[in-house]
Amino acid sequence: MPMPLSGAEWAAALVFVPLLAALACFLVPRAANWLGLLAATLILFATLGLVRGLLGDGPLRVAVGAWAAPLGIDLVADGLSAVLLLMTALVGLGVSAFAPAYFAEHSEQRRWFWPLWLLLWTALNGLYLAADLFNLYVMLELLGLSAAALTALSGSATALNAAMRYLFVSLLGSAAYLLGVALLYHGYGTVDMVLLGERLEAGAVASAALLAMVAGLLLKTALWPFHFWLAPAHGSAPAPVSALLSALVIKASFYLLLRLWLALFSGLAGLLPTLLPELLGLLGAAAILWGSVQALRQRRLKLLIAYSTVAQVGYLFLAFPLTGVQAGEIAWRAVLYLALAHGLAKAAMFLSAGGLLRFAGHDRIADLDRAAQRLPLTLTAFVLGGVSIMGLPPSGGFIGKWLLLEAAFTQGRWGLALVVLVGGILAAGYVFKVIGYAFTATKIAQEGEAVPLAMQWSALLLAFGAILLGFAAPWFWPLLEVGAPFAAPLAEIGTEAIAEVGAVSEAAP
Amino acid sequence: MASLNLLPLAIDLVLALTLLWLAWRALSSPDLFRAVVLFIALGLVLGLVWVRLDAVDIALAEIALGAGVTGALLLAALAKLQSAEAETADASTEQEGDWQGCSQALAEPDAKSKPTLTASATMDATGSAMPIALRILLALLLLVPLAGLGWVVWQLWLPAPGLTDLVAARLEASGVAHPVTAVLLNFRGYDTLLELAVLLLALLGVWSLSSAPHLGDEEQEPALAALSRLLAPLMILVAAYLVWVGAHAPGGAFQAGSVLGAAGVLLRLSGWRVPPRATGWPLRLVLVLGVVVFACMGLVVMAFGQPLLGYPPGWAKPALLAIELAATLSIGAILAALFIGGRP
Repeated sequence: MPMPLSGAEWAAALVFVPLLAALACFLVPRAANWLGLLAATLILFATLGLVRGLLGDGPLRVAVGAWAAPLGIDLVADGLSAVLLLMTALVGLGVSAFAPAYFAEHSEQRRWFWPLWLLLWTALNGLYLAADLFNLYVMLELLGLSAAALTALSGSATALNAAMRYLFVSLLGSAAYLLGVALLYHGYGTVDMVLLGERLEAGAVASAALLAMVAGLLLKTALWPFHFWLAPAHGSAPAPVSALLSALVIKASFYLLLRLWLALFSGLAGLLPTLLPELLGLLGAAAILWGSVQALRQRRLKLLIAYSTVAQVGYLFLAFPLTGVQAGEIAWRAVLYLALAHGLAKAAMFLSAGGLLRFAGHDRIADLDRAAQRLPLTLTAFVLGGVSIMGLPPSGGFIGKWLLLEAAFTQGRWGLALVVLVGGILAAGYVFKVIGYAFTATKIAQEGEAVPLAMQWSALLLAFGAILLGFAAPWFWPLLEVGAPFAAPLAEIGTEAIAEVGAVSEAAP
Repeated sequence: MASLNLLPLAIDLVLALTLLWLAWRALSSPDLFRAVVLFIALGLVLGLVWVRLDAVDIALAEIALGAGVTGALLLAALAKLQSAEAETADASTEQEGDWQGCSQALAEPDAKSKPTLTASATMDATGSAMPIALRILLALLLLVPLAGLGWVVWQLWLPAPGLTDLVAARLEASGVAHPVTAVLLNFRGYDTLLELAVLLLALLGVWSLSSAPHLGDEEQEPALAALSRLLAPLMILVAAYLVWVGAHAPGGAFQAGSVLGAAGVLLRLSGWRVPPRATGWPLRLVLVLGVVVFACMGLVVMAFGQPLLGYPPGWAKPALLAIELAATLSIGAILAALFIGGRP
């Protein structure tokens, strides 16, 4: 069957469908639910079209407005962007299906949720398709502002405080990133990532730009010790918003950091480009331990899940010290898998927390009072998400951690491997803490409110997605390899490990 | 002759020193109103600096947006803060506690400066106490990246390998004769479209938070009313001129939109209100018009075999003018609505 649209048109649809849908939701608030769901479906469709085109024709690079870079702006898509676009589309559809029921009782919140969320989606898709450093800055602005506005949606004092702090952090991060862009443009006369990668030389300008951009993006990604804003913001936002922030927004700045590192800085000689990966790995390890311990100590469910995000962000940075050597590139694939699995699993967990909140009217973990018997679908979603977060087979989280351990073992990095394992055990601790209370009866039996089925099933389907990701490895690798985003081709470096994982995940059920 | 050559240098030196002085005074002033006025003055001087750097477009934008609109927004926010101060005394103490917790959390890694130093503490603008030693330490810590940045900027080579020549070479095909407008609307039109979306998003964020303060029909000041009757039509005329002139000289939608927004602010201050039947979808339509026209124009050309946002030869000029007009209306409306603050 011939493709109905070209890759360039799918890419345009990915940015313009959410943008125009956001405006339509603003103009006609009464139809917002339907418009939003329609847009979410169309975006998933466009993503699948783009993915199909990538698998058939290889990586995509199109000029916007017929002015090729460096004068104009180019859009690109390769395997790395495709998997993140796919995750965004799946989580976005799940949250969009959850939101109408959740906001049914708060019509004023619903009215603003849709345009803000669709603008956030525009920014996410645009960011994954961008290859131009300044265009990426515009996307970061769109992303940060919409995320902060969504955080404040409930209007409570805690939420407003957290949103304000989030906004400041986000602006500071963007400003630092922009400083790096300005330095690079002055030094090398282009903001196109590919051209810059060819022209960039080690030196003071490159080092300063690298430091400024990394600092700004770490702040936005909430890597320890820059995580201070995350728990209040993700914990006090409405449940669908928390799911979006934890599953998607954090990944966008991590993706940008990874992209910059791969395209511009990883090849540079000098002290800084060799030291930085070690430092990032160290901070990642600290984040895993600190975030998990904090999650264990929380008494409120949403804060527990938020601190779990602090820990899971740490895993993404463990790859930096593991790459750069022969056979090291397997670590990138590992963290990409972890990022995807975390996106689906964490969205499911936050959505089920929203269901529990609606059911019980609070999210105190100690008073869950037999929620497992009374709200089985939602609890199943939470547990399945937790399984992936812990990294138990056959989930997507398991594949990611397995590959990460593989990379750490082959290079003799026992410390990192130990952190991965300890993080998994601590994650089991905080997930089972919630499960335990959900099965126990409290002294005073609690009344529960009915939870709409749309809320329960959207969470459950996302959780299933996180588990099924464990079986998707054979389809996942060819897609990720489109355009060879990690330089060294897959064939040379880790076929054994990947074959092993395939065998394990097939044997697991 | 030598004195003539020195004159530009002297002007630059005076501008630079004034800029630094104004910035310092604005930051250090304990009186918020004074700080805002100093900030507006800073924007004006910064505009002059841009003129000295031959960047007239940025100078216009800086004075209209940086000094004018931002100043008006800050003053409006200040007025709200002062009227709300008395009501929320309890809430603010709660917040202070929170902020102190935050600053202590930030200070944690530095275990040596314990809060026991509070005896010599000074109160800063947020009301939280910070030991003087900690302040000095923070300042020193901030000086390190600042010095590093200064050193890097010193190292930068001149002339920078920019894109000026390339822009000049393709100017003819862009549909406008002014390079800045060509970059904003044609070469990098995708960015500008999304920047318009960012502006709209800022308004959505404000509207999602609260409804507009209910201003009573207070007594109009006759002088202000007379002045606004005189000025508002003139400002609309200036805005139209700025859009038109943007095609071949400094000007364009953002500058024109900010003049239009200022006209809206002036009308609002002199007691004019948007009629209630227009605050619904007609107002929302004006607000989104810029993004809608820009985006649809960019998509429609795809049906004719052009790339996204790529205008066919000969059509670029009318297309860009239509986009600029729609964008000017939307920017003006959004800026005025931001000043009013809160949904209607």
